[in-house]
Amino acid sequence: MTRFVIRRLLSLIPTLFLIITFAFIIVRVAPGGPFASEKKLPPEIMANILKKYHLDEPLPKQYLRYLNEILHGDLGPSFRYKDYSVNELIGQALPASMLLGFLSLVVALALGLSVGIISSLKQNSWVDYSAMSLAVIGISVPLFVIGPVIKLILAIKLKWLPTSGWLGGRNGILVLIMPIITLSFPYFASIARLMRSSMLEVLRSDYVRTARAKGLKESTVVLKHVLKGAMLPVISYLGPAFAGIITGTVVVETIFTIPGLGRFYIQAATNRDYTLIMGDVIVFSVILVLMNFLVDIIYGFLDPRISYK
Amino acid sequence: MAKTSAVKRDALINEFNQTMKPVSLWADAWKRLKKNKMALGGLVIVVTFIALCVLAPILPIYPYEEQVIAHQNLPPSLRPAGVTMIESRVGYLKLVMESEERTEMTDAEKAEIAAMEQDVSVNPAHKRVYIFGTDSLGRDMLSRILYGGRISILIGLVGTITALLVGIIVGAIAGYVGGWLDNVLMRFVDILYGLPYMLIVIIMMAIFGRNIINLFVAVALVSWLTLARVVRGQIISLKNAEFVEAARSMGASPGRIIFRHLTPNTLGVIVVFATLMVPSFIMNESFLSFLGLGVSAPLASWGSLVSEGANTMELYPWQLLAPAIAMTLFLFAMNFLGDGLRDALDPQSKNRL
Repeated sequence: MTRFVIRRLLSLIPTLFLIITFAFIIVRVAPGGPFASEKKLPPEIMANILKKYHLDEPLPKQYLRYLNEILHGDLGPSFRYKDYSVNELIGQALPASMLLGFLSLVVALALGLSVGIISSLKQNSWVDYSAMSLAVIGISVPLFVIGPVIKLILAIKLKWLPTSGWLGGRNGILVLIMPIITLSFPYFASIARLMRSSMLEVLRSDYVRTARAKGLKESTVVLKHVLKGAMLPVISYLGPAFAGIITGTVVVETIFTIPGLGRFYIQAATNRDYTLIMGDVIVFSVILVLMNFLVDIIYGFLDPRISYK
Repeated sequence: MAKTSAVKRDALINEFNQTMKPVSLWADAWKRLKKNKMALGGLVIVVTFIALCVLAPILPIYPYEEQVIAHQNLPPSLRPAGVTMIESRVGYLKLVMESEERTEMTDAEKAEIAAMEQDVSVNPAHKRVYIFGTDSLGRDMLSRILYGGRISILIGLVGTITALLVGIIVGAIAGYVGGWLDNVLMRFVDILYGLPYMLIVIIMMAIFGRNIINLFVAVALVSWLTLARVVRGQIISLKNAEFVEAARSMGASPGRIIFRHLTPNTLGVIVVFATLMVPSFIMNESFLSFLGLGVSAPLASWGSLVSEGANTMELYPWQLLAPAIAMTLFLFAMNFLGDGLRDALDPQSKNRL
């Protein structure tokens, strides 16, 4: 078991290395640079600036220098926010994004699982039909449509919720409601559909019939026997779901003006703030890759057919 | 019951000695699809949308990039633009009157309305009808939605076709040849899977500039990964079947076996996959357009229209709702059609995502 975990962890390194290299190449081969748009500076000053940020060195050398810095946990200085390091900028922005992403995932999981379970137990009832219609809406409507539309209805027309802002303001946790609804809805929908169909499959399986034949109570059958097997497809969906949620934060933070990492993202790319984009990509990728790793481990725990070798 | 002698030569006879017409996979699937009302509804909507978008240049609609300054932000209406224009102006002036606690319009305001009425009576441009309203530059929303649909649907199709070509070729070769080639190709697919795709695409679009070619490349870049895996799995399960053995013993080349014998047998799965892929590409494209990284003005896509609409929704909600509803309806229809096709082509399949 421990060996499996360690091996799996080690295999994350090449993936991360690849992502970093790929992002570095894309960012650097593009025309333009962080200081290209500024006023014409005297060449000596420009040369000084480039020298300060080591931009005058050949690319391979810059790349190695950058890798070395990352290994020491330093993401470098920001080119645009002159007095800040990328570590500071990300440190300020990450908590908001993490909170938003984490809560959305929890909400999507909790609601998706319960709706899926109820739908499957009451198959073809009105509960099932209405839940599954809701789920189809969830997978068909993109979150950048859901976001503005619920903002229009709940905040602007009905004035029940604040239109934007973040924790620490006078609106308290009310500001969390709309971003979380927006971000969790598509994943709630997918999880509910997935859970329902996998529950239905397991409910008809032989081992469940055996459990019933032993005279177990229906609640025991569902809770102890069906759920565990039915969870597996949902667990393996969590990896892609989390990737989607991370990307989704970029949009949701834009719609609801949340001071998170996503907000930086596009700005940094457009400004050619090399270090900040790279920092963003690295942080997002590390979270994503770790999440996939966790999903693998959980999957192994739940599925006895997988052996750790 | 028909007698054997009366049966045509190539008809089949079942164990009850009844003649059976050979039914192809597609005829069978069509029969099942016809029974599924939701999927059929989806099909009708998809075909209507595509027809409207393709025919947009010859439909009697206003040019999508033409700005009529007088017609800014008009609400959806079946009446001529002149009428709604005056109405919305009068409505606005009434609000001003209320806020200034007057009961009458000032002379200047009266003169303005009179001038507008005069202009409406002579200028034929005010006879235009905007059933979905206009945007903040006085462009017809209906026309923009149809032209936006052209781009969105085109991108959905281009992404899907790329995915099909690359995915089928890579998947089929990996599955059929197996061994180290399979290993290398699938490791490559695994690694690409691990990349935070949209995040990298966002950077690419921001850095290489927003144009439609870049958008195509970005959307098509990793679109083929899942399909390659699916096709590979199918091919592996088929490659030892008797008909493949027969083809091999007759001396067919591997290329012929892969593309003439194996791939057609995976078409059912591929078709279902393709239908469900179109909406996901449209979503990805719109996602980029929403962030301002998609097509640039005056071109429009559904994503860029929703994004523009979201900026002005407080005052002019139709600018958000009209493209949002159009897009949602299309995505809905595609999803229902895809689900229906899956049930029709592969009745044993579980209702997976």
